[in-house]
Amino acid sequence: MSTNESLLAKSQAQTSNREREEEAAVVCVRGLIKRYSDGTAANRGIDLDVRCGEVVSILGPNGAGKTTFLRQLTTELKPTSGQIEIFGVDAVAEPQRAKRMMGITPQEAGVFETLTVREHFEFFGRFKALSKREARIAAFDIADELGLGAEINRRVGLLSGGQRRRILIGLALMGRPPLLVLDEPTTGLDPASRQSVWQVLRRVVAEGATIIFSTHYMEEAERLSDRIAIIEGGQLLAFDSLDKLFARLARSYRVSHSDPFDPLSEPFIRYFATFSEAQEYVARERLSEYALSRASLEDIYFTLTGERFKDGAEGESA
Amino acid sequence: MKHVTDALCVFRIHLARLRAEAGPFVLAALVFPTAMYLFAVAVSGAQEISDEKRLRFLAGSIVFSLSMTSVSWLGYLLLENRFTGRLKLFATLPVAPSSYIFGVLLFALAQAALGTITLLVVARVLNVRAHISFIALGLVVLVTMLCLCGLSVIIAARARSFSEGSLLTDSLGAGLVFLAPVYYSPQAMPRALSAISQWLPTTFAARAVQTTLSGSSQIGAELLALALMTVLTLSLGFRLMRWREE
Repeated sequence: MSTNESLLAKSQAQTSNREREEEAAVVCVRGLIKRYSDGTAANRGIDLDVRCGEVVSILGPNGAGKTTFLRQLTTELKPTSGQIEIFGVDAVAEPQRAKRMMGITPQEAGVFETLTVREHFEFFGRFKALSKREARIAAFDIADELGLGAEINRRVGLLSGGQRRRILIGLALMGRPPLLVLDEPTTGLDPASRQSVWQVLRRVVAEGATIIFSTHYMEEAERLSDRIAIIEGGQLLAFDSLDKLFARLARSYRVSHSDPFDPLSEPFIRYFATFSEAQEYVARERLSEYALSRASLEDIYFTLTGERFKDGAEGESA
Repeated sequence: MKHVTDALCVFRIHLARLRAEAGPFVLAALVFPTAMYLFAVAVSGAQEISDEKRLRFLAGSIVFSLSMTSVSWLGYLLLENRFTGRLKLFATLPVAPSSYIFGVLLFALAQAALGTITLLVVARVLNVRAHISFIALGLVVLVTMLCLCGLSVIIAARARSFSEGSLLTDSLGAGLVFLAPVYYSPQAMPRALSAISQWLPTTFAARAVQTTLSGSSQIGAELLALALMTVLTLSLGFRLMRWREE
């Protein structure tokens, strides 16, 4: 074998190794069931694999079981039955080991009002086994990235709700964990702050991290996710890429219009298999004001769950 | 090593709280106990109050300070951690529950030491003649503080709401001292209350502190009782604290 051929073979082997690594599931959930003491079944047998470097969003109506699912993933809640493996570690049996590989932003968590932003990041860096110097450097880097640079020496008690939310995201990022689990990370943020959080999340994914997050914003799920999981009634209804989810729709054109005599009423939405069918409908109904578009993630969501998505709705607790 | 670093971080986080809100601590740990000492001396009735009585009142004030900081103030902090989601934030970290508890206990110990030393300085200014057995006093303060902290952990773990929990810690912080015969002799108590009070940790603590203030180290029985109560309250507190929900 010539030198060139051997180099080529070596390069091919390296590529396939990398592909295998990327394909390997870093989060592996099997038969996850959570039944609360009052008998409520919040998760009913969820199976889900997340590959290395993927961004997976979890969608579902309020009370669907998204937060319950994420809380079990982060080891905060013990499953009734089922398995959760994080990078090969049994998260149910060894929660501390599993948490070493995760950065977590809970849906509702409090910050320490008497500590400054910098102190928060530094202490949490230390909890994540960074040295004092590393924690200090990371504190400044993350504060800058999340647009908190100007507030770094201010007490958290003086900051707004959105700034506190960004601190919680920053705490999850400390120590560059390979897996981020974020429960509605951008709820309550203004559009500019949301954009800066998206930028940070894209950066960490480019560096090799894997992200699982729940959201109430369709746009967020569409823009960030490689795959989207839709949960309802504690069950995983769909888990696929956006393209494949679209392919499930038999009628992928939508026409929406309001009642001209009651413009504040809920809009009528109709779906059609082809563009011409949609046009025919518009002509037949003599609509003067309407919107004709390709179906969106919201339509897929509606088809699967039977519920309209409420952007930025209040967080769920189940 | 990680456990030590984690416990120290928890300690420093709570210390920052004390730094920012020193006022209530000074009130609970120093001003009220000092005021109670002066009040007890004033109402004791005697023209020339004996050294023994002064030492009893001082011991009572030290125990009062310990109770206010370890039950009321610490209980309040633990309740706040639980009900404002801060405990949840700790639970997201690779931090062992024991590191959190040790950090909190370290903080309580720092408060207890600060409160006791300052009260001893105040007592000196007030001409209380004490022959302190420092090692024995340190031991009593440590065990009393641990025992009372155990009560705080139990309340913080079991309370159904923040208001319920803080009402309990406040009542217990003051009640444990006033039910124990620390500012008056046990004979002055009604018989039923006396029966209860003799089993309170504050009763053992006050007796032991008074003994150490008079230079003696004969506190074996009190230390043993307090140690048993500490094991009971702390182990129950550990058991009840929910780091991970079922």
